[in-house]
Amino acid sequence: MHSVFSRINNSSALLSSCAMGLLAAIAVSSMLLALFEAPLDGGVVNVNSVKVVYGKGRQRKYEHAVVNFEIDADLSPLFNWNTKQLFLYLDAEYTNAKGVQNSVVIWDRIVRRKADAKIHVEGKRAQKYAFKDVTGFRDASATYTLRYNLMPHVGALVYGTAGTTNATVAFPPVINHV
Amino acid sequence: MFTEELKAFRRLGFRHVLLQALNFASVIASGLMIWKGLGLLTNSESPIVVVLSGSMEPAFYRGDLLFLTNPVHERYHTGDITVYKIPGADIPIVHRVLETHDAKYRGPLPAHNQRLLTKGDNNEVNDIELYRGLEYLERKHIVGKVRGFLPYIGYVTIAMNDFPQLKYALLGGLGLLALIQRE
Repeated sequence: MHSVFSRINNSSALLSSCAMGLLAAIAVSSMLLALFEAPLDGGVVNVNSVKVVYGKGRQRKYEHAVVNFEIDADLSPLFNWNTKQLFLYLDAEYTNAKGVQNSVVIWDRIVRRKADAKIHVEGKRAQKYAFKDVTGFRDASATYTLRYNLMPHVGALVYGTAGTTNATVAFPPVINHV
Repeated sequence: MFTEELKAFRRLGFRHVLLQALNFASVIASGLMIWKGLGLLTNSESPIVVVLSGSMEPAFYRGDLLFLTNPVHERYHTGDITVYKIPGADIPIVHRVLETHDAKYRGPLPAHNQRLLTKGDNNEVNDIELYRGLEYLERKHIVGKVRGFLPYIGYVTIAMNDFPQLKYALLGGLGLLALIQRE
């Protein structure tokens, strides 16, 4: 009845169910908090200029877009007791001449502390990732949106939008180098 | 401490052993049923995965448990964390979507006309080198989208892979307990 085995069994069962209950409570509470929280005050996303140049990809010739953008946003309200990190990314969405709908991340940042959640990015070197298209950017225009992915210590991942360009930004004609 | 267990074992006899073996088998079978049922519900061949590499740090560490879904009619978005498996590669990879390209409606499901490019948060470059000659991922390579997350629980399986003796000890111990317990 009260053997060593049953004692170990009972106490470990109690411990693990307590731990599970606690984790579930944390996950559910932070989800509820996200539901009832006021929507995020819109951040500012501005595109100052876009330049399109030819470039060589791995196998084919591409058109490369070089985007000079500016981001101004305060994401600190998103941080609560269950926030492990915030993954921020600037997403360019456009439809090219072939009718392909594209969505390309050109900048991202991982924010791990509330103190770093006030974001200000601008300048020519801000673009982190190549923005290229085989078909080309002719006659296309893009919307740039700042999105976030809230990653919890435990529980469900949350996605949202923190700001967007108010109008679509047209791609200029290609500059022919040399 | 085992002597009385063995005594009990002798007293209860052959039928009892058979019954316990049946119980053991039914536990394993129901586990398998739950796993496959979850797979059907989430439309993912492997709805729960363990993170094996550090390429998504600091979001996911080795041993974290991820819960996936793969809804048929839903397209993938940039920023989604996917698990994909390239044919010929042994292990599935957990990385974030960097680019999506949706061609015009061609196939039976529009959401499946999608090409994806991924990147690990902790990697400097995108995953093209991991695609084994493919230029983009296609929907058929995707196992699922990460929806939820439980830290470190999956480390047991990594430990069992690293130290096979542990796996056999655990399995043997569980089997023995199932045979000799009396309730």
